[in-house]
Amino acid sequence: MKQFNLPDLGEGLPDAEIVRWLVKEGDEVTVDQPMVEMETAKAVVEVPSPFAGRISKLHGKEGDVIDVGAVLVTFGEVGEVAEEAPEPAPVTETTNDETPSQASAPAAGSDTFLLPDLGEGLPDAEIVRWLVKEGDTVTVDQPMVEMETAKAVVEVPSPFAGKVSKLYGQAGDVIEVGAPLVEFGGTGGSSSGESKAAAPAKEEAGEEKRADSGTVVGAVEVGNHVVAETANAVVKALAKKLKVDLTKVKGSGKDGAITQKDVREAAKSGATASTTTAELPQQTAGVDTSNPLAYKASPAVRALARKLGVDLGDCNPTGRKGSITRDDVEQASKGGSSAPRQSQPAMSAQQAKGLPAVSVEVQPEKVRGVRRAMAMGMANSHATVVPTSLVEDADITAWPKGTDSLARYVRAIVTAAKQVPAMNAWFDGENFERLLHPNVNVGIAVDSPDGLYVPVVHNADRMDMAGVRARVQELREKIETKSLKQDDQQNATITLSNFGSIAGRYGTPVVSPPQVAILGTGRFRNELKLTDKGITNAKMLPLSLTFDHRACTGGEAARFLAAVIEDLQLAR
Amino acid sequence: MAAITLIEAVNAAMAYELEHDKDVVLFGEDVGKNGGVFRATDGLQKKYGSDRVIDSPLAESMIAGLAVGMAAQGMKPIAEMQFMGFIFPAVDQIFCHAARMRHRTRGRLTLPMVIRAPYGGGIHAPEHHSESTEALFAHIPGLKVVIPSNPSRAYGLMLAAIRDPDPVIFLEPKRVYRIVKHEVEDNGEEYPLEACFVDREGSDITLISWGAMMHETLQAAEKLAAEGIDAEVIDVATISPIDMDTILESVQKTGRVCIVQEAPKSGSVGSEIAAEIAEKAILSLLAPIGRVSGYDTVMPYYRLEKQYMPTVDRILDEARKIMEYK
Repeated sequence: MKQFNLPDLGEGLPDAEIVRWLVKEGDEVTVDQPMVEMETAKAVVEVPSPFAGRISKLHGKEGDVIDVGAVLVTFGEVGEVAEEAPEPAPVTETTNDETPSQASAPAAGSDTFLLPDLGEGLPDAEIVRWLVKEGDTVTVDQPMVEMETAKAVVEVPSPFAGKVSKLYGQAGDVIEVGAPLVEFGGTGGSSSGESKAAAPAKEEAGEEKRADSGTVVGAVEVGNHVVAETANAVVKALAKKLKVDLTKVKGSGKDGAITQKDVREAAKSGATASTTTAELPQQTAGVDTSNPLAYKASPAVRALARKLGVDLGDCNPTGRKGSITRDDVEQASKGGSSAPRQSQPAMSAQQAKGLPAVSVEVQPEKVRGVRRAMAMGMANSHATVVPTSLVEDADITAWPKGTDSLARYVRAIVTAAKQVPAMNAWFDGENFERLLHPNVNVGIAVDSPDGLYVPVVHNADRMDMAGVRARVQELREKIETKSLKQDDQQNATITLSNFGSIAGRYGTPVVSPPQVAILGTGRFRNELKLTDKGITNAKMLPLSLTFDHRACTGGEAARFLAAVIEDLQLAR
Repeated sequence: MAAITLIEAVNAAMAYELEHDKDVVLFGEDVGKNGGVFRATDGLQKKYGSDRVIDSPLAESMIAGLAVGMAAQGMKPIAEMQFMGFIFPAVDQIFCHAARMRHRTRGRLTLPMVIRAPYGGGIHAPEHHSESTEALFAHIPGLKVVIPSNPSRAYGLMLAAIRDPDPVIFLEPKRVYRIVKHEVEDNGEEYPLEACFVDREGSDITLISWGAMMHETLQAAEKLAAEGIDAEVIDVATISPIDMDTILESVQKTGRVCIVQEAPKSGSVGSEIAAEIAEKAILSLLAPIGRVSGYDTVMPYYRLEKQYMPTVDRILDEARKIMEYK
């Protein structure tokens, strides 16, 4: 006698409907002979016979829905049908003999576990695989068997701790819900040490276990693991939501524990926390520097600090809400934290090289940026250039009111440079090379709190005065907004220093190599002047020209200065 | 006090409200006679009658629409979607009516309704039974979206959801329906909505999760503790609106964050939490925010679902990576 169960007809569909039998009971069939047409949700399929033999029983009639895995056809002699058909769980009696020690057990407290409802009220399930064998000792919740329902494969856990005395059925067998599945032998419960569920579960096993396993569409894991809710978490969450300060709430629960009710009442009576919760503790001096969270800094700033090897604790936070900015890190990296230094010893170590420390309040600061560039540039100039200065006044009495002096200075330099190209040149003292520029790029020295900037009006020789003024204005704004580019400061061929706009009549401006000349314009003044027409009041502009005597002759410089004066003395 | 499972807690909470509030009604596919496919409503029709525990036709849009109508008339309907995957026909009713009624009527009409749905993977079900689409609902203003992670919270939050004056989408992580039991006192005490629960306090890293993934996350925290990493674990519980205060406070304490979710990564609730943290607590971050999540693909058939769903090991890997970040 053989059984043929409905195989999976494709796509994991759970069942199929019998459309038409192609054979009848008592027929002899050959292997692969179609026996039945089954309709799945997708198609009608002919199901072939896996065996050659006589059909003893067809399970189901046309229109019946057969679950995948359920018995479809029984092969064998017709007479055998009655024995196996109604009881899909063959009882394998012989197995009891294999465990002689249990032979007497059933009477002494054996326990039968019935197959619980595994889902959607389906009537039965097929054994896929036993996970335990007879004689095994199992614990509560230990999976014993994989059962396949119409929907899924489910592990069935043991409801008891104990020794398995008998397994009802084998892989492929279909077990009806409520039919015996496993029998437990007498003495089991205590031996495993997990006796928890054994005794009380026994009486109600059928009902309670059924409810507990419930139903599954899919393999819902089942456990009896009991854990406690962290009541504390709930109370804290509620307190936070209602803004209640738990330290001010008196608990009415067990052992003075605060309950949700206590929190709600406290909220009503107004014991609210005064602080807003999501506020980071304000940064204070002397914070624990080992905790990086003691400092507020964006990830990019932290990355920069790591790169520069700066400890955030050494930074002076100047950002929003006390956060550390990139500048603060850079400042600290250059050792120039603007905060007064606390650590005397660190300073004294530097004293041999640096400036002597004066006091705790006033300390030397690192010179950096523009100021540092100026220092280096000047030192370079002093070390190479042979400076010679020439001073003279220009009479600008003729200027109309409102003349743009800076634009006039630039125009005068351009005009003079055209006449004396040697002054609008670059000079390389090492290789003795000289470059006479065809164009005039006038660098203009601008004082700023950060230090000296020398932005450049390029090609001033091709601009009118309005253009020069506009460009100068643009450069000044760039300096103010710190957006001056490298390009804006490069390739000057000659420089103007208008120190007179602040104070100073004459000076000795410093040539900036490789340029060879710099013109300083002092503060102009009124001067009584003896002329052919008598004494007149003249407006005089002091000029100071410094040139690199390595590159230019005195004559060239004087002619250049004369040309400047000539241009400046024009009315417009 | 009995030790009960999450599904039993859902049942107990609904039974409590059916008992104490005559306005509460319950309906959905198979919720009555059958007691629900997962037995969430087991025994309720028998006890409270077929007037209050109603087997509905197989029509999700109607189920949600019925809930809207009943709630608008002063009842407190609890509607079941048999699976989250079946909720889509009901989305028009939920998004366009349930979520907007308060706004549409300028606050004169609120809808005290709950839509329950089992969701999430891990039970070898077909793919549309297993996905985590909570972000769709979290995105819609006017809906509260609540996901309990254990039996106690299922009980307390379900009570709060039923009593809330506005529509609540109550998503039940079906994988954990029966894996743990809690001693729950059936006293009708609700838990706060819109509040995160800090299930483990720690100082090194904040692990944030909700629903079924809380179990993996808590296990990961235990293992991290063995490695000397002190993790704080937050159960978001109400994923919309999110209690960001609790999360931000934790992030400011630890500086490191790992978000664990079953849903695909892109456009997820985890993304929203990460964005909020970046917006409001970036100055406290010591490492990039980590996310352990499902993949940006359809939930696979069950043979591969274990590969898809975040595991304790994946959480550990990500947490270690975040801890090692310099």
